Order: sequence, then C-alpha cells, then structure tokens
Amino acid sequence: MELVSQLFFELTVEDTLRLFKEIYGIPEEEYQNTKNYFVNLFDVKDLMNVQVRTLSLGERMKMELIVALLHNPQIIFLDEPTIGLDAVASKQIRSFLKAINEEKGTTIVLTSHYMEDIKALCKRTIVINHGCKIYDGDTEELFEKYQKNKKITLTFETATELPQLEFSELDVGIVILEETPYKKVMMIPKERTSEILRNLMEFSPSDISVEEEEIGTVVERIYMEGGQTFA
Amino acid sequence: MRKYIEIAKIYIKAQLIWRADVVLNMVFTVTKILFAYLLWGAIFGSKAEVAGFTFHSMLSYYIISAFLNQLDMSSLISNEISTRIRNGTFSKYMILPVSIEKYFVAMESGVVTFYLAFDFIAAIVWIFLFQIKFVFTTNLATIACAILIILLGLLFMAQLNYYLGLLTLKYQEIGTFLMIKNNIVAFVTGSIVPLVLLPGAFVSIMKLFPFYYVTYLPSMLLIGRFQNERIIGLIVIFAWCVILQIVIQVTWGKYRRKYDGVGI
Repeated sequence: MELVSQLFFELTVEDTLRLFKEIYGIPEEEYQNTKNYFVNLFDVKDLMNVQVRTLSLGERMKMELIVALLHNPQIIFLDEPTIGLDAVASKQIRSFLKAINEEKGTTIVLTSHYMEDIKALCKRTIVINHGCKIYDGDTEELFEKYQKNKKITLTFETATELPQLEFSELDVGIVILEETPYKKVMMIPKERTSEILRNLMEFSPSDISVEEEEIGTVVERIYMEGGQTFA
Repeated sequence: MRKYIEIAKIYIKAQLIWRADVVLNMVFTVTKILFAYLLWGAIFGSKAEVAGFTFHSMLSYYIISAFLNQLDMSSLISNEISTRIRNGTFSKYMILPVSIEKYFVAMESGVVTFYLAFDFIAAIVWIFLFQIKFVFTTNLATIACAILIILLGLLFMAQLNYYLGLLTLKYQEIGTFLMIKNNIVAFVTGSIVPLVLLPGAFVSIMKLFPFYYVTYLPSMLLIGRFQNERIIGLIVIFAWCVILQIVIQVTWGKYRRKYDGVGI
C-alpha cells in the first residue's frame, strides 16, 4: 500500500472509511473493531466527522494511515510519512507506526530522508545509491560503523587556553570547530572519547556536553564510502 | 457490485458540497432553449412545419437534447485521469482492488444520478416558462428503447473519455484529442441543430458512428420520430461500446507499464 491521498477532501473521514470497507469487502464487525482500534491509537475520535479539508497536515496524515491500514495489510510501503510535519506530529506518527508493527505485525517498508524516522522505526536498513544496494543490514550496525566522531562542547567560567603542545600528543583526529576563551567545540574520533575527555577534565570546564555526530554527516559518509565498502 | 454502488454513493454525497455548481448547471440549460426559441421562432414565422418539425416539437427536441447533454459529464473522467497520470498520483486508483474503468463509470453514475433530478426540474420549469406544448411519445416500447440507448450512450461517452485519459500514458498532451472529441460531440450529437436538417448523405454516414446515438436518436425517439431506428440504434451503440472496450483493454495492456509515479 502506497501512501497516495485517498481521502475525499469534501467529505468526512468516516465517509472514506465506509467506501474502503466496501472496496476491501470488510465485514461490519471487523470494520468496527479495526476502525475503533486506530481511532483510539491515533486519538482522533473528534475528527472522524469533520470535513477532511479542514484538518491540519498532521491530522490528515493520521487519517491517511487509518485508511491505508483499515484492511489490515500485511505490508505497507510508506514514502516519507513525516515530510512537512512538525516535530510533535512526526513523533506521533513514528510511535503509531511502531505500535502497528508490534501489535498488528504489519511489515513496514519506509523510505525517508529523515534519519530520525529510520533510527526510531527500522531494525533493518537498505541504502540505495544510483539504483545499487550499497548496504543491507542492521540499522544500529550501520550507524555504529559510520558514526565515527563525537562532538564535545566545553564551557569555562574563566578564559582558558588549551595548551597546544600538551594537547598535541592527543590531537590526532581532533578538529576544532569553534574556539573562544570561554568555549571550545571539537570533533573527536569516537573510539578515543574517554581518553580525550579524561585529559580535558584537567582544564576544569564548568560544563561539558558530548553529542552524537550529526546524522546528515553520517549519511553523507555512508554514500561516500558505502559504495566502495559494500559494492 | 456493492463496492461500485458505494463509489457512486460517495460521489453523490460529494456533489452536495458544490451546490452552486448545481444551480449554474440548471441555469445553463436555459441558454440553449432560449437560443432555440428565438431562432426557430424566426425561422418558422408563418410556417407550420420545417423538415417535419412543428415549432413545439422542435423546442421539445431541444429541451430533451439539452437535458441529455447536461447529463453527460464524462469529461470529468478524462480530466481526472489525465491530471493524475501527469502528476504521478494515478496510483491512487491502481492500488485499489477494483477495476479502474468501473470505478470511473461508477463515479460518473453517481454524479449523473445527482444531477438527473435537478436537470429534470430545470427541463420542466423551461417547458412552463416558455409555454411549450411538449411533444413526447406515448409508445412504451420506444420509451424503453430510448432509455436503453441513453444509458448505452452515456456508457460510451464514459468509455471514450476513459480511453482519451489513458492516452496520457503515451502522449504528453491530450488536449487536442479532447478538443476534437468535444467539437465532434457538439456537432454530431445534434445538440446544435437537429441532424435531420443536414444533407441525407451526411446523416447516413453519421449513423455508422456512435455519436448519432448519444443524444440525437434518443431525443428524436422521445418526441415520437424515427421509431423504425430504435432497434438498429440499440444494436449500433451496443456494438460501439464493445469495440471501444476492446480498444481500452488493448491500450491499457500496452501502456500501463509506461506509468511513472515516483517522487510524489
């Protein structure tokens, strides 16, 4: 099932669902049970009898999903299901898809440019580059392999210089992204995080944060290196 | 069958939202009748008959013909298919467990059913307004044949527009095809002037084609003329429906793989 809009904008979602009940030949009892399950899951009871054109994009996306899932398909193909949605709506859609996968056993094939979608939903990832499969395997492994750096942000109460000479013993692979007397931001190799952090703690920072490398950079790396690694 | 009835029902319901369109559609029927009233009023003058028509049978013809023309809303089908194929959302229909052609026929049936009542009311109003002595056959067999021909004619127009819509799979622009179709339909269906007023040879050729049977023949049958053509009319329009159906199957089988719906 591909997610092309099936809703009738002039009518209510209930009208479209009734139509799909007949199109898929769903018995009345099964129809009511499935509909109620999704209405409760998506918390859209108040929207069922509202004209579709008055719904927000996020609400409409939920309704499209209900229509697509009404006949309990074994597999659904979703193309960018969270595109254009705000953070809250995206998170909701992701949690619904996860629930459907776990509770109904529906297989979801999802294409997305949003890595949050993929990390939150997909156990298995296939990366395609120029029509060729360059990775097919565990999503965590993929990110483990290509998420090579961590970003460290240090803030200081007093102006602090990181002594270049002392630090240079450690600085292989370190990239300074931002440097002011009170703040240093650097990218470090993931496998050296604890070692570098231990040394940085000697400079008594007032605050320190360690972040995962930006997902966009990881994806870029997958495409740059992945073709050679997996081809 | 139930699924197609449900499709027709949902389109009937969808029409209710566009009430202004219904009013306009009813009002537009008057332009044709008003034009006919003025034109034929001048032509008839003191004459009692022109080509076998009295003034009132001519106006009756125009009212029935306008009514049938208003019912044919099959251009919705070609427009919808063409737009959907071009923007890559035709898969909306391809993924459903229905025959796409029947879906569109059901869609048109829904829209036509809705407009049927309103167009009928409009026709009655114009009859009273123009004080027309309405001529209508009382022969039940003729009425039954005319109704069947009308239904087959509407089906043929739906098939034709479905076929023209599908041509978007092959051609980038089907506007020319639609324009040619609209011009042929406007002239050959006899909605501008009754075909009986045209040269006999031309009419004989037209009888071989389906458009003669879409509005012209049923309108003439309903005003009590051409009764001898009712059976042959049924056979010819039915044959055209079968022929077009075969053309549609071949075209769909050949071009469906050309459809591209990526990146929506």
